[in-house]
Amino acid sequence: MKKLNLLLIFFVLFLSIQSIAFANSSYVLPYPSSMPGSIPYKVHVFIEHILKYWYFGSFSQFKYNRKYADKYLIEAKVLFEYGQYPLAIKALEKSNFYFKNESDFLVQAERENKNISEKMMLLKNASQKHIEVLEKIKKEVPEKFNWSPEKSIPYELQIRTIIDKAIKDRMQVYE
Amino acid sequence: MNKAFFFLFGTFLFLVSVFSYLFVESNVFSFFFASFAFNNRLIVSILFIIVISIFFLFYLFLISKIKEKSITIFDVWKIIFLTCIFLLFSYPAMLSYDIFNYIVTAKVIYLYQENPYIIMPIEFIREPLLEFMHAANKISLYGPSWIFLSFIPHFTGFQNFTFTLLTFKIFNLLFYLGTTVLIWKLTKKIVSVALFSLNPLVIIETLISSHNDIVMIFFMLCSFFYIQQNKKILALLFLFVSILVKYATIFLAPIFIYLLWKKNQDINWQKIYKYSLILMSLPFFLSPFREEIYPWYAIWFLVFTSLVNKKIINQLTTVFSFSLLLRYIPFIYWGTHAGITPFLKIGVTFFPLSLYSIYYWIKRRYA
Repeated sequence: MKKLNLLLIFFVLFLSIQSIAFANSSYVLPYPSSMPGSIPYKVHVFIEHILKYWYFGSFSQFKYNRKYADKYLIEAKVLFEYGQYPLAIKALEKSNFYFKNESDFLVQAERENKNISEKMMLLKNASQKHIEVLEKIKKEVPEKFNWSPEKSIPYELQIRTIIDKAIKDRMQVYE
Repeated sequence: MNKAFFFLFGTFLFLVSVFSYLFVESNVFSFFFASFAFNNRLIVSILFIIVISIFFLFYLFLISKIKEKSITIFDVWKIIFLTCIFLLFSYPAMLSYDIFNYIVTAKVIYLYQENPYIIMPIEFIREPLLEFMHAANKISLYGPSWIFLSFIPHFTGFQNFTFTLLTFKIFNLLFYLGTTVLIWKLTKKIVSVALFSLNPLVIIETLISSHNDIVMIFFMLCSFFYIQQNKKILALLFLFVSILVKYATIFLAPIFIYLLWKKNQDINWQKIYKYSLILMSLPFFLSPFREEIYPWYAIWFLVFTSLVNKKIINQLTTVFSFSLLLRYIPFIYWGTHAGITPFLKIGVTFFPLSLYSIYYWIKRRYA
């Protein structure tokens, strides 16, 4: 009986751990792509600039900015995990830039009399997912980091403050 | 050609036009007989078989009269114009809903100013055409040439749905007439003009369903025309435009490389058309790997069968054109693309052709 109880407790605990592992939002982020420093990364950056013109129109631009906001968020996550803080922050700033554009293009679409209700929902889901990822990163990174570049003056990276700002930007959309 | 024929053919075309309106869905236009085809499937299937059979009887009659030389090119043009006038007012979504895709794709780029290769029509929630579109969840399948050209019927439609339907029909009709002129210019044979332009499959798919394949074919023939005039740059330009309508004419690239390399006087045009026929049959027979054989894809090679103009090829393609139109019947009758429909479609496509091949073989062996 004791064994059975233990097994039951273990099973309940296992299930509760599993439920923590599930994402709260149904929004799916992409797999990590190439990382800074590699040749494919340079190619991707070049394509990113070209695609900006291909994705004309407010809905298309919304799609384009969403795509890159997600891509750079994942890039930042991987780089934070590997302790590449300056590169991670750079990626996060790019993600912030594209994320801000997303909502700007939705405003533009609305001005053009396009129905943005579905896109707005998508943006809210995306922001929720971004917040989840950023909160997770925040728990795993140091508050500050002293970075000493090879050929310039060392400086301090306020990692958590930067992440907090990124979360705040996304919160504004989510709320 | 006597007046009785024109009267009979005109009456038939008028009835075909009326018949097409049996396929109107009640959410598109509300007529008293709207959705008739969907509520009376057996009757409509039988009527459709009768319609295409009569169409082919007229076609065979005309071809035989041309071979007897009792019809002039002016008579053929009169028949073509008569067909255009009557079928211009037929309902275009009788057998395919592609015309709605053309209209909405043009709207995506010219009205909403979005890239149709990125944004699907379904993303415009208030778009009224979504109600009766059947492929709203797809980005544009058509090439940039078509998308660019479609601004003409889009703008001349003045945002009025019925008027836009008509302008798209007129637009494709003009390319049909242009193609007919080019066949005449390339061959100077009445029979070649009639073989293509009076083929019921070409007429139904171009003048009723208003498929844009005719636009691709027109530019491809322009390319052949200009290469014969030794205007190679113009020819290449038109080939390029043609490829960018619906991509299928890319299969003719080897022919054009050869034509650019060879001097004009050394070219055997009959051979060129024969090889073009083979090459343009390839994307047609490869189409099931992408989706399925659509009857209107036959236009890609039918134009070359008319240019080649060989008896056995003409006979086989006539039977095949008839079989391809029979492919619509399982869907008209059952109203679904699932179940037995795909198997019946394959059956009706190849059974008459096999039967004719056996007949031809027996005839040759025992004649």
